[in-house]
Amino acid sequence: MTVTEQEITDYVARVRAALADLPPARRDELTEDLPDHLAEVAAEAHGTLVERLGEPEAYAAELRAAAGAPASGRNLDQRVAAAVVRARGRLRTIDTRLGPPLGYETASDFLRLLRPGWWVLRGYLAAMLVTVITTGGSFGLLPRFGGELLAGLIMLGGFLLASIWIGRRSTRLRRWPRWALHAGSVVLVVFAFAALVQAEDRMRYDDYSYGPTAVDSQYEQVRDVFVYDSEGRLVENARLFDQNGDPIRLGYPDCADPADIYGKPLLRPYPYCPDQAPFGPRAPGVPVPPAAPTTAPTTSPEPTTTPEPTTTPVPTGTATGQPTVGPTATPSGVPSPSATG
Amino acid sequence: MDTTQLLKGVLDLAVLAVLREEDGYGYDILRRLREAGLEEVGDASVYGTLRRLFAAGLLTTYVVPSESGPHRKYYSLNAAGRDQLTRSGKLWRSFATTMDSLLDDRGLAA
Repeated sequence: MTVTEQEITDYVARVRAALADLPPARRDELTEDLPDHLAEVAAEAHGTLVERLGEPEAYAAELRAAAGAPASGRNLDQRVAAAVVRARGRLRTIDTRLGPPLGYETASDFLRLLRPGWWVLRGYLAAMLVTVITTGGSFGLLPRFGGELLAGLIMLGGFLLASIWIGRRSTRLRRWPRWALHAGSVVLVVFAFAALVQAEDRMRYDDYSYGPTAVDSQYEQVRDVFVYDSEGRLVENARLFDQNGDPIRLGYPDCADPADIYGKPLLRPYPYCPDQAPFGPRAPGVPVPPAAPTTAPTTSPEPTTTPEPTTTPVPTGTATGQPTVGPTATPSGVPSPSATG
Repeated sequence: MDTTQLLKGVLDLAVLAVLREEDGYGYDILRRLREAGLEEVGDASVYGTLRRLFAAGLLTTYVVPSESGPHRKYYSLNAAGRDQLTRSGKLWRSFATTMDSLLDDRGLAA
């Protein structure tokens, strides 16, 4: 006999070491007969045990597979897999416990009935995500594609059908497409949550109805916007847009407007109430009076056609101004409006 | 697909089958499997399968002392083991028939 007791003992020790991750009882159950078995093998065959049977680690792996023991838990992947199996077991317990209160055998039976609902919701969320991407962050409840409601609704229909189609086939997907689908669903759920939080904020601050562009709170007290051209004339029917082409909505029409031809108060151009312009109109043809000699040149930023510096009040943004001081006012030594700034 | 892969699924059945006629000890069972044509089967696979079938209550064991070498642990089928062999055998036959006809169909179509 070419195999010694010592060789068998060593071989068994290495096999047991390779199975060290198993519960001790399971490992003992697998290896308790191994010395005897190896002695049989040694008695039948020639050469060393390693020559006959291969390395103990390989023997252990084969033994593990044949005996139906879990794969080696030594590397992280397998430890994670074992944890997943345990978690699944626990989830299954919860599943069956929660079922009866819901009126079903298991909670997942109940949830499975809700799946078509989720498919529809998923299609809607995908359409809203595209809405946010194409319109640059502002959105309501209906999808829009680049600001177009009709295109958005068509997109919504397409996404709903696609989501349902995918949902009915998801069980047949291969591994990677299925992972991609799950990842996409997670993105949509996160997006939906973020959108809900934002909508909740907007509703709580009650400026929900004031239009698509959020404005900073520093404009909260603005009720109307008056645009003056370089001549100091009030520009009527002015519209303001931001860099995305979205209308900038400031204030709200609070005067009765007979010229509300659009029927949509929020689409009305500025100013909403021209009567309330802070600066009066300059009468056509009235030359700007020359500055009183005593009046020092002002630093008015507004260019005028008047060759010399004037006291012409200009909308320098200091709308606190004295509305009575207009271009029609007689020139005097009163402080220039620019001094009111 | 190699034989090793196929063996994983049917080694239980193969071990039960070689024990149907006659009891055997580990190395003897391995030798019988190899003689029957399952040359790729490994010692650890047979040993592990025997441990598992024993733990499942399908086999009983007894030790036979030997004059010339170490004593040997013999495995034999018990009633549950025979029952399992019958059921698994039927399952295998129907599976094999299905595979055969599938392969024949494909062969004819080609």
